[in-house]
Amino acid sequence: MVKWMKNTLVSWRKSKRKLHRDGRVLLSGIIGSLVLLLCVLLGSAAGNAQDDASPQSSAGYVPVISGGFAYIQNSSGGVQTLEPQIIPVLLVPMGHSVLLESRVEFTGFFQREVSPSGSLLGPYAGKVYKTVDYAQLEWLADSHAMFTAGRFILPFGLYSERLTAIWGRNLQDLPLTYTIGTRPYGAADGLMVRGVAASLPSANIQYSAFVSTHSLIEQLQAVRAAGADTSIFLPSKRVEVGLSYERTLEGYQVNSEAAYLSWQPERASTDLKAEYDRTHFGHGYWIEAAHSPQQFPIAPDFFRHVQLVGRMEQFFIRNGGGNGFSQVNEQRPEVGLNYQIRDDWRLESNYGRLFSKNGNENVWNFGFTYRFIWPLWSGRKS
Amino acid sequence: MNDRVYKHWLLAFFLCGFCLASYIAASGQAAPAATTPVPVRRAATSTDPGEKVFEANCARCHIPPMTLNPRITGTIVMHMRVRARLSRKDQKLLLQYLAP
Repeated sequence: MVKWMKNTLVSWRKSKRKLHRDGRVLLSGIIGSLVLLLCVLLGSAAGNAQDDASPQSSAGYVPVISGGFAYIQNSSGGVQTLEPQIIPVLLVPMGHSVLLESRVEFTGFFQREVSPSGSLLGPYAGKVYKTVDYAQLEWLADSHAMFTAGRFILPFGLYSERLTAIWGRNLQDLPLTYTIGTRPYGAADGLMVRGVAASLPSANIQYSAFVSTHSLIEQLQAVRAAGADTSIFLPSKRVEVGLSYERTLEGYQVNSEAAYLSWQPERASTDLKAEYDRTHFGHGYWIEAAHSPQQFPIAPDFFRHVQLVGRMEQFFIRNGGGNGFSQVNEQRPEVGLNYQIRDDWRLESNYGRLFSKNGNENVWNFGFTYRFIWPLWSGRKS
Repeated sequence: MNDRVYKHWLLAFFLCGFCLASYIAASGQAAPAATTPVPVRRAATSTDPGEKVFEANCARCHIPPMTLNPRITGTIVMHMRVRARLSRKDQKLLLQYLAP
């Protein structure tokens, strides 16, 4: 009995200490956040002041709210989904070398429910999902090293960092292999270093390397992982070739690798991209071409805003697949027709057919996207 | 709410929003002001090193904006320097090209 009481007392003291420690952690967090906010505000002011003093350029460093807005109507295998999306990006410079940036997604999924008669023509129902894509502090220390701390998008392959913005994608559907190297959360909580390893007149060698910690904090979930990405860019040819590697360091530890190519021939108004991805549970590729006819003989002013897109992709399972991947082989050819009303407004349409052992299905997307870039407040221009 | 009515209201809402935003955007572009955005794409001068950096790097991932407000050019270029892994020299060339 005495032993039990002793244990209870010890455990009560421990929990009291834990509560006290948690309280201190919370207090430290609040103080840290306030200090960070103060730094942001002072840094912004300092940035504006420095900007005015800069003799080389009239560029201003006012905080920016940027991002995209989209309304997409999707039909997959006959199931209708309405997907309104607002994805703001906040950019707050602190001087000319430190940048705080964050992107949040508000995506609605409204789907037709099954009616009492059993058809898919019931009322629309769904909800809006909120996701913090990234919230990071960047220090542009040098050409060779730029440091990022916080939550950041995984630098894996072509799509993850560069092409996920709704207003920038040529096709709305993500590739079948997208989750290779990015699963399960698509982002990491930790540190990243990136920059230019070598800058030559004919080629740039760029790199990124990161480590991520385990996190279960709401909206900031991440797994322990490490990885790197490197690419060679030939500016004169507009060709980029790259390799990515990622290893999860918890649970069932697996490697993921990617090899990618991006090419924009100068005179063809064409954008070619291709990527091969491989992990323990599957491998696959996608190859995409987009073309805007700049000198069409009929109505050239109209046709130079038109974009034709085609993509072929295949995913093959390994070791049974699953774990966030398909459990059967899949392939999906897809074509798209987009119209760029202005540089910020775009009408989108695309059709694809998914071939799978689980059943083939048609995929349709129609909608529009809008990109915005606004200063957060008015600043003095030098 | 009846799903058909709901869908019609939703479509009407987005169409109105689309028209309104287009009108605002178009009128904003037409009206000159003290902070009128400068055109990003200019007549081709292939000798401009900043333009070369711009053409080679920005179009790799997206359609560059036609105009960029000078007040935010520095911030945007900082963001793109990290995202596109540009060197400090390229950043300076871009700044001189976009906001001379």
